[in-house]
Amino acid sequence: MTKDIYRSIEATIEDIIEESPTIKTFVLRTHEPFSFKAGQFIELTLPGVGEAPFTPSSDPSVKDRMDVTIMKAGKITGLLHGIAKNTCVGIRGPYGLGYPLDKFKGKDILIVGGGVGLAPLRSFLYALFSQMDNFNKVVLRYGARSSQDIIYKKLLPDWSKTDKMNLVLTVDIGDPSWQGNVGLVTTILKDLPVNLDNCVSIVCGPPIMMKFVTLKLLDLGFNPRDIFLSMEKNMSCGLGKCGHCRIGSFYICKDGPVFTYEQLSKLHDIWD
Amino acid sequence: MDKSIYFIKNEDLLNLVEKLYADYQVFVPFLKDSSSLKKDYCYQRFKPGLSWVLNPYRVTEPLKTFFTYPREELSGYFCPDKRILNVEQKTIVLGVKACDIAAHRIQDFVFIEGVQEDALYRLRRENTLLVSSDCTDYKDVCFCLAMDVLPYPQKLFDLNLSSLNEGYLVEIGSPRAGQILEDNQSYFTPAKDTQIAARKSKRDIFVDKLKNHIIPQNMPRIDKLQDLIRKGFSLDTWSHFMLTCVECGGCNLICDTCHCFLLWDEKGKTNNLRLRQWDACQYANFSRVAGGANPLKNRTQRLRNRFIKKFDFFIDNLGIPACCGCGRCIEVCPGKIDIREVLKDLAKKV
Ligand SMILES: Cc1cc2nc3c(=O)[nH]c(=O)nc-3n(C[C@H](O)[C@H](O)[C@H](O)COP(=O)(O)OP(=O)(O)OC[C@H]3O[C@@H](n4cnc5c(N)ncnc54)[C@H](O)[C@@H]3O)c2cc1C
Ligand code: SF4
Ligand code: SF4
Ligand code: FES
Repeated sequence: MTKDIYRSIEATIEDIIEESPTIKTFVLRTHEPFSFKAGQFIELTLPGVGEAPFTPSSDPSVKDRMDVTIMKAGKITGLLHGIAKNTCVGIRGPYGLGYPLDKFKGKDILIVGGGVGLAPLRSFLYALFSQMDNFNKVVLRYGARSSQDIIYKKLLPDWSKTDKMNLVLTVDIGDPSWQGNVGLVTTILKDLPVNLDNCVSIVCGPPIMMKFVTLKLLDLGFNPRDIFLSMEKNMSCGLGKCGHCRIGSFYICKDGPVFTYEQLSKLHDIWD
Repeated sequence: MDKSIYFIKNEDLLNLVEKLYADYQVFVPFLKDSSSLKKDYCYQRFKPGLSWVLNPYRVTEPLKTFFTYPREELSGYFCPDKRILNVEQKTIVLGVKACDIAAHRIQDFVFIEGVQEDALYRLRRENTLLVSSDCTDYKDVCFCLAMDVLPYPQKLFDLNLSSLNEGYLVEIGSPRAGQILEDNQSYFTPAKDTQIAARKSKRDIFVDKLKNHIIPQNMPRIDKLQDLIRKGFSLDTWSHFMLTCVECGGCNLICDTCHCFLLWDEKGKTNNLRLRQWDACQYANFSRVAGGANPLKNRTQRLRNRFIKKFDFFIDNLGIPACCGCGRCIEVCPGKIDIREVLKDLAKKV
């Protein structure tokens, strides 16, 4: 029997973690074996309703569980935010190429996240942590709209205790409870403790944030081939067949979703 | 049968089709509308006694209708292997033309090649024999030669028919087609050199006739198209031609190279359904994402998208444009948007 590439496998939602007023992490246990590489994505199905693409946010080396961190943004995500533990959903994938970790060996790694964009970056961080000897240092810069919107609040302190890890947060809008930086994420990209000649930057967040972070990084002297961006477009199949996610002569689903700025810089309207 | 070209008499071709009907579902061309200026042909399911004629040029509907359907249930949802692949019947399609075959290079690339293979598409493709034939006439909208497609198939067919003196020369293009000849030897005689020479001169004469139709259209050369699309990105060609577009999607849906689809989940009576339906990049919500952002917001962007996909994306990814010059999109468009005129306008302005 040939493989049905459009079939979802069943997964049970074992736990739901409230990360922020609009973001929840869903812990999934798949009923059939399923694994992914950091940066690859899945299509998550609400049975009989529809699908949407998400990037797992958990440690790729954990094989029996998978976390997906989801922001409420429309129909499917809205319904997902309303469901209870032990509900069954579907998943297919993994799709895309994921982060080229081997290429990052021996380098300083700058990670810049915005909002729910920290989700795929968390999975990437776990992948780095599992082979930290291979990297010089890991510098994480994360921006959220307000202190309430910061996700993975319980994990962040642990990460900053990790050897070789340097972490700075900022919020767009301050409030009395927040003691830290206030300002867009680009404002905490100054005086980075990295060696610019031997550093790659991994960026994920809303298009407008990625645009300004990219401009800032270029300004700082980053080479376009060392800036890795997570691109988003309307997707349906995830397999390079349905034609929805074209950008230039690439499909984001199969040639990405992570691209270097070098690959994209000559294309039109990449941030739309 | 080791040679690859044979002769069959007209009445024996009819007999052969009747015979094949026992084992295959057979589709034959029929004259749909004889009243229109240029007659339209369509595929019809063959039944004994049905009279049919080989079409002088392509039929109205694209060949892709045999391999993906406008809307179909696709997947067994969570249950593995539930989809009943074996209901797919062995099929023979007569009346296929060179442009249809050229277009299927694109469909095959999308559905069979790439990261994973679409098993259902492949199965339908394997179950379907394509019997093509040389064009003997053209429609006004035809511009195959401008897309480097000759009006007679040279490869990727199973059998090709070239009409000749009360019969046809039959060229074998695949082992499975060879088997059909093997099983029906009494209908066939090996082609004589004189017959093969006659086929060549008929073909040459028709190509000349077609050149007289296509060359005066003055279309840009095929090797210029990618450059035109790239350099023409910001030209007013797009905003000008889009003015009459009513966003019906017809140009995409009728096109034999357009392959875009949408996976769609629905609650059925007893179980959940995953459907696949053809999609069209000329529809307003084709690329809308959550929050309402849409990189192809307006008709100008969407018209341009169709051309970028055909003449930039596919040339980059497969080395050929996703257009075979069949002219179906020209015939179908209620806005009278003519792909040839768009390309000519770009060539004028770049
Ligand atoms: C590679 C990738 C990774 C992503 N990772 C994450 C992540 O980790 N976390 C996160 O929060 N977000 C992520 N997103 C964004 C997320 O996919 C969108 O927020 C989500 O698709 C919104 O879906 P919605 O139905 O809630 O929104 P809507 O606005 O209702 O729908 C958005 C679009 O989905 C399509 N659509 C809607 N309903 C259907 C249907 N029934 N069938 C087919 N298509 C339909 C339509 O094209 C619609 O325009 C990612 C996106 C991509 C491309
Ligand atoms: S067929 Fe014509 S009117 Fe319809 S979507 Fe295509 S260009 Fe627009
Ligand atoms: S773009 Fe038009 S002429 Fe070209 S293959 Fe498609 S329908 Fe035919
Ligand atoms: S999502 Fe279908 S081609 Fe990329």
